[in-house]
Amino acid sequence: MGKNVMVEKKTITKVLVANRGEIALRIIRTVKELGLSAVAVYEKPDSESLFIRFADDAILIGNGPRKDYLNIDRMIWAARQCGADAIHPGYGFLAENAEFSAACEKEGIIFIGPPPDVIRDLGNKVVAREIMKRANIPFIPGTDNLSRGQAGIEEALAFGKIHGYPIMLKASSGGGGRGIRKVENESDLLIQLPLARAEALSAFNDENIYVERCIEAPRHVEVQILADKHGNIIHLGTRDCSIQRRHQKLLEIAPADLPTDILESMHKTAIAAARQAGYINAGTVEFLVDAETNEFWFMEMNTRLQVEHTVTEALTGVDIVREQIRIAEGEHLDIPSERVQLMGKAIQVRINAEDPKNNFMPEGGKRVEVYQSPGGPGIRLDGIVYQGYKIPTEYDSLLVKMTIRGYNWEQAIQRLRRALHDFLIVGPQTTIPFYLAICDEVDFQKGEFDTSYLETHPEIFKYPNSEREIAKLSKLIAEIHAKKHNPYAI
Amino acid sequence: MNAVKTRADEIITPRELKEHGVAYVLDKIKRGDGFFVTNTERDLSQSDFKNRVMPHTQVLVAEDRNDCGYFTLEISGGASVHVDMLRKQISPLEKLEVLSALMPDTMFQNLCRGINLFGYRPYPENVIRLTVQSFARYVHVWRVFDFLNHIPNMIPVFEEVQKAGRILEPSICFSTGPEHTNEYYVKKVGQILDVTGENIILCIKNHGGLGTSKRIGDLTKAIMDRYPDMIIHYHGHNTDGDDVGRIVAAVRNGARIVDAGDHAFCGFFGPPPILTVVDTLEEYGFRAVGINREKVIETSNKLRPQREFYKDFESQFLGFDPTAQTHKLPGGATGSSFEQAVKGGFLDRMPEILQKELPRVQRELGNWWSVTPGSQILWTTAVNNVIKGVRYKDANDDLKNLMLGRYGELPFYWPADEIYTAVFGPDWKDYVDKEKGYQKIEDIDIDVERRVLEHRLGRPATGDELVLYLQHPNDAVSFFKFEEKYGKSWVLPPEVWFKKSGFNLGDKYEFSDAFGKQHTVEVGPQRKTKSGDAVTYLIVDHHPEPILTELEQEAGAAKKKPTLTPKEIEALGKTGDIRSPLKGVVNEIPVSEGDEVSAGQVLIVLEAMKMLNNVLSDISGKVTEILVSPGDEVDVGEPLVVVKKDG
Repeated sequence: MGKNVMVEKKTITKVLVANRGEIALRIIRTVKELGLSAVAVYEKPDSESLFIRFADDAILIGNGPRKDYLNIDRMIWAARQCGADAIHPGYGFLAENAEFSAACEKEGIIFIGPPPDVIRDLGNKVVAREIMKRANIPFIPGTDNLSRGQAGIEEALAFGKIHGYPIMLKASSGGGGRGIRKVENESDLLIQLPLARAEALSAFNDENIYVERCIEAPRHVEVQILADKHGNIIHLGTRDCSIQRRHQKLLEIAPADLPTDILESMHKTAIAAARQAGYINAGTVEFLVDAETNEFWFMEMNTRLQVEHTVTEALTGVDIVREQIRIAEGEHLDIPSERVQLMGKAIQVRINAEDPKNNFMPEGGKRVEVYQSPGGPGIRLDGIVYQGYKIPTEYDSLLVKMTIRGYNWEQAIQRLRRALHDFLIVGPQTTIPFYLAICDEVDFQKGEFDTSYLETHPEIFKYPNSEREIAKLSKLIAEIHAKKHNPYAI
Repeated sequence: MNAVKTRADEIITPRELKEHGVAYVLDKIKRGDGFFVTNTERDLSQSDFKNRVMPHTQVLVAEDRNDCGYFTLEISGGASVHVDMLRKQISPLEKLEVLSALMPDTMFQNLCRGINLFGYRPYPENVIRLTVQSFARYVHVWRVFDFLNHIPNMIPVFEEVQKAGRILEPSICFSTGPEHTNEYYVKKVGQILDVTGENIILCIKNHGGLGTSKRIGDLTKAIMDRYPDMIIHYHGHNTDGDDVGRIVAAVRNGARIVDAGDHAFCGFFGPPPILTVVDTLEEYGFRAVGINREKVIETSNKLRPQREFYKDFESQFLGFDPTAQTHKLPGGATGSSFEQAVKGGFLDRMPEILQKELPRVQRELGNWWSVTPGSQILWTTAVNNVIKGVRYKDANDDLKNLMLGRYGELPFYWPADEIYTAVFGPDWKDYVDKEKGYQKIEDIDIDVERRVLEHRLGRPATGDELVLYLQHPNDAVSFFKFEEKYGKSWVLPPEVWFKKSGFNLGDKYEFSDAFGKQHTVEVGPQRKTKSGDAVTYLIVDHHPEPILTELEQEAGAAKKKPTLTPKEIEALGKTGDIRSPLKGVVNEIPVSEGDEVSAGQVLIVLEAMKMLNNVLSDISGKVTEILVSPGDEVDVGEPLVVVKKDG
């Protein structure tokens, strides 16, 4: 199946991990498994971060926060400094920055990810649609970039007339749930369109916007693909990421619970999309799925390793980071399809130091005074939390991702519940009780959920704050002990 | 038909009261072959243990006490309603609910201060009625008094108790002196009967343990002579060591119910031991109806090992005090007086206060009854007179209100003009003439109060919570918040609740929670965190549970704690930096920021030692800052208000 192209084979010996936190640690682990050297970079506020301790070497790239992780020059400098021959960008920060991929290429450093033009094409939604159109990929009816001024308004109004309301206004350079506005009717359109344009300009430095039909309460299903430089493309099955909070994924499941023929059709479509885009390395093709009819449409393609890749790894047994590095070296993909296990269910939850009841307010600045994690069958943890860890105010509040694998959906939920209960985190509020509430919710247990899940199930936020009676009493006994008297008795 | 009456036939149960009514029960007492005994657990706890006997201890002996055959268990009212919330962190209503479930055969009794309910100041009538209705669910016998024996102050409580089908026990407060004649008291009984009707028990309330046995015998006889059908319940205190003598004299002269306590917990200022009373009277030919001796002994056997956990709350001065006959402090206030003397650093002045000044103040103010809230007025006045060296200087509002007759007519005589001059100034006459008179407390809007409470709690309030809030608003809210955080902590044994200087590694406690679930808590190691907090490893029901206790805040609060001498506070006051002269709770702030105030104007009202104290401005000027809010606890020297001098 491979195309006859000349591929230069290179050997990687030292990988600079151009990221922080749990994903840096996750990459370092595989780099070390391969017998390669792993070099971490860090901003000053990350000096005590766990990922640094696992790297073979670490380079301070600046005082941050965040700006140095976003600085291409600093990354190239760091790679030169330590003699790294490859850079893994992780997710976020520079991961989908075509300039970064290009800079690496220019400097002769292997970028463990797609080539710059692929990142650039797929990063622009309108260009991406053009590519997908050529491959007959189904996508949600929509317009090209709207013309400037009154003409653009007319185009949008015309679209609304044909497809009906509501419609979506989307920033062409948007992504990750940002730059999207829902429009209910024509008058609403006239109000929102200028706002959407202004917002797109300020947020993405690109005022281009387009219109798309609005699919109400769809499911969000994505296909993980791997593509080597020889033209081999395989899929690693689907992930259902429907449980989101304002387009931010919270809980992901592999594989999606869809009829086999739909899944197969989706896998094929994803591979066709990747092929049309000239994709290389690991990527994700995202689809919206009508929760009623299972009709699906191309949404976008992510040109990076995703947060939720663990759920695919747990299900299939394939180490995606390992394959990324091998692909970057110019190796052939040699995973026979029968080795790609899609049986059972895997679930990933992001355990964040946040208060779900208070609009997921991060608990930055608090310290994890006690940390005990679950273990046993089917549990994978990717985290940077430890006893004494201080939740940073500079970065995200992710403590640990837990991925569990079960024989089937029922066992997966049981295992997830058990493992969540086995966590012991004292100090910050976490999303654990929120996930426990989801585990106990009937529609979730039946596998019936879409992207409106959180809005349509407000009861999951009403988990009892009240601890068990004995937990409260224990708190008092500990206080009497710590203060050496009972302040409530005298 | 049973030929022989059994113990079960003789005792009076809550069920009988419910099924047959008050008249039936009173008739049964009259027909009873002997006298009845009330176990005054509440008064014992208040007099000898600063009200701290914990629910855990009460639950421990509940079943034994239920089998003792008492007329009633006196378990609520007095200061206990407040202390239950403030220091024991239990709802006084829940306490009654829990205990009544464990003691289905025993009637509960309380002590109600009439218009002052279970507090220290008059309540609006609608609050009184709501409160009585609520407590009457659990309290079968209501002992009601007024510190001036002013009957109108008791009428709303009388009415609600009778409406609820509960037994009303109006009291005549007893004291000594030339005015306290049999004639006076017999007449007072008549006045009570005029408003209550005959279906009552009459309490001779001897809260100070005053008078000799002969005096009590004579008084009982005088009442019985005039009202031969009267059921008299004698209540006394053993402060001088002779309450058994007074009890015996009361019963020999016709009293049918007496108060006594469990011997294992008897102290010096509360009731005498039950068995001593029972045995002594038996020699005189009076049988204790229904009393099961073995169970009385068994109760004390179980209580004895518990007493050591309460030793911190026994009086600073132990031993009988026959001088009570002159200072007349009620038994329930004796222990706390010594506590205040220790805290206030005037323990050495106590002989002077108790033996000289207090009797003098009593006589000067009218020789009425030293019982709440009057006892607090007398005590605070006497302490101030001695400590300040100037008599009746800076009199508090309660004394002023009393002298203006706002709490009711004084029974015998009004204070002399010189006292009025000392309290109200040289122009007192016009002021007193204008202001004098009974002060009727207006009803409050209970719905508004409920909304305020719910706002403070951030959630709907239950009916019980509203009732408790109306008694002591700030302390009730603090308690509700405590309970939300720490649960129903009254299940904890006193050895845990009162633990000082930390537990030992491996200390293990077993107890049931309020929902009947058995738990074991073992104390493991403790470590300090980087932020200065503590993590304690408890083994809770065999699972290790590390628990974080934040200490930083406390350390911070300790640091800012000002330690100023009264002189320094006064000096700062002259500059407009108004500091708290005492440890107390902010009750009211009559001024607002920006107000112009003149020297001598009230800036803050503080509540301490159950009394209201005015903090006055030393200078005239503008209020620029108010640093406290109502309900705040303040310490001596804590900044309250800033006044900027005029000009």
